[in-house]
Amino acid sequence: MNVPTEHLLALASILFALGVAGFLVRRNVIIVLASVELMLNAANLCFLAGSRAWAAEGAAGGHPIQGPVFALFVILVAAAEAAIGLALIIAIYRLKRTTALDATRDLEG
Amino acid sequence: MSDLKTLFDSIFTASASLATAPILALGVGLLLLLLCDIVTPLRPARGLAFVGTLVVAAILQARVLFANSAPGLVLDGTFLADPTTALFGLSFLVGSLLAWLYASGYYDEERVLATEHDVLFLAAPAGMILMVGAADLLVFFVGLELLSLPLYALAAFRRSRADSVEAGLKYFLLGAFSSAMFLFGSALLYTAAGSLSLSAIAEHGLASRTALAGIALVTSGVFFKASIFPFHMWVPDVYQGSPTPVTALMATGTKAAIFGFLVVQLMPLLPPSAAPMIAVLAIVTMFLGNFGALVQSNVKRMLAYSGVAHAGTLLLVVPGFLAGADPAAASRAALFYLVAYLFTGTGAFGLLALLEADGERFTSLDSLKGLAKRRPAIAAAMTLFLLSLGGIPATGGFLGKWFVFSVLVEAGWTGTAILGVLFSVVALGYYLRVIVAMYMEEALEGEAAPTTNRTGATAATAVCVVGVLATGLLPALLLGPLGS
Repeated sequence: MNVPTEHLLALASILFALGVAGFLVRRNVIIVLASVELMLNAANLCFLAGSRAWAAEGAAGGHPIQGPVFALFVILVAAAEAAIGLALIIAIYRLKRTTALDATRDLEG
Repeated sequence: MSDLKTLFDSIFTASASLATAPILALGVGLLLLLLCDIVTPLRPARGLAFVGTLVVAAILQARVLFANSAPGLVLDGTFLADPTTALFGLSFLVGSLLAWLYASGYYDEERVLATEHDVLFLAAPAGMILMVGAADLLVFFVGLELLSLPLYALAAFRRSRADSVEAGLKYFLLGAFSSAMFLFGSALLYTAAGSLSLSAIAEHGLASRTALAGIALVTSGVFFKASIFPFHMWVPDVYQGSPTPVTALMATGTKAAIFGFLVVQLMPLLPPSAAPMIAVLAIVTMFLGNFGALVQSNVKRMLAYSGVAHAGTLLLVVPGFLAGADPAAASRAALFYLVAYLFTGTGAFGLLALLEADGERFTSLDSLKGLAKRRPAIAAAMTLFLLSLGGIPATGGFLGKWFVFSVLVEAGWTGTAILGVLFSVVALGYYLRVIVAMYMEEALEGEAAPTTNRTGATAATAVCVVGVLATGLLPALLLGPLGS
């Protein structure tokens, strides 16, 4: 059984849209951060789908190895980003005793 | 084995090491700086290590600029090093040094983390150089994160202050969101074209829907970082909440790096039919930036809105290019504008950093009243920076705007150029208000800023003043290496 590339792209797009929706709608910083991770993983899935399509027979001229390598870089950077993000969340929790985004409203205008 | 060696030799050539030497120097200096912090006898040498690293990196970058034949595309076609990117790189190094000079003595309670601060300050220019040279989506992504991650931490550096941490968190969340958009766009482009190289993607074209969605997302991610409408909302909050020297680096260096990539690498990829849409985005950005700045009573926030307006102005070179202006003229205009803005913006934010005490207590318009009497030198330098931001002749800001608008006129978009000039007149309104407050109004009781004086800030201000005047009066100095 072979899943067509279009289906994988559709799945990745749905994941990405869910991530965007979560980012815009949810008000808890940790959930918002998780939504960003969902978007990153949508990108990873898309990279792997593209790589598989270009590795298939008859698809000349592409670089199938670049997709998985990029996905590895994304995972790496996502880890670094999560480290900084969680540090910032701890810093704001120390000051405000909450992780709700609505509480961070000192800067307005 | 010999195959591997041939491959290795074909990628890591002499010109590749010439091109990447500045980034490697920054990396080595960064490690040395960390070492200085651990080894107690070396601690006093930290400042020297920081400045030394930037100087060495600048010398290596100048070697690329003045090389007989520019390295061009190196590392298997993923990294570009030519006179334009080298000039960008030099300006990033100078900008980081200036912002750092303003930062010395700025923090009080957080002095313990001085080394961490400097290390983050060294990582940022490495990311910027990588971004401008990136001829490949992966290289750009790595550069972008190498720049962004340190800046998230730097924005929240005053950890005991809620506004600083909030600025860091906001910058982080929106930065991560824009990175994710960029990444999904890259993934779609890769799926369509089978390659991450920008030239291969350009060759493949944007015929398919996947590729079109990809380029739209990649451009959105870039516009987010460049603070273009509708992605500009975060800028005033983040710029106001961050420590002011960090704001100086964000407003000038980050903007220069992202626009450098946009103009040098991404612009040729955009379809010409996108020109009207980008022009509209630029005009709306200018409108929101300028009119947002008009109503501010806090000078730091006013400068943040003015930064948005400047991003809008600069974006106008993209539709100019797409509508058929000379590509070399477009990238020259952008480079000049950014270098002039680097000196002007760093100087303006830096002087605010010098004036303010106890956080942001003295960045309001009221506290600047009568500054010319109390501190004539600072008021004079601030006036020069504000006039340059407003685009008054004999300053770098004027010539930058002139070059950008002449690209538009060359492309036949005279109406858009006139609209841009009108916005510049509006901008003069809020810049002049600060000058009037400094020179013509009396200081309010109890609002006078303390008379702090710092050697680093004085030196940085002198460099910024010289930079603004030199770009304004002797533009050939900067444009000479590019060859006109």
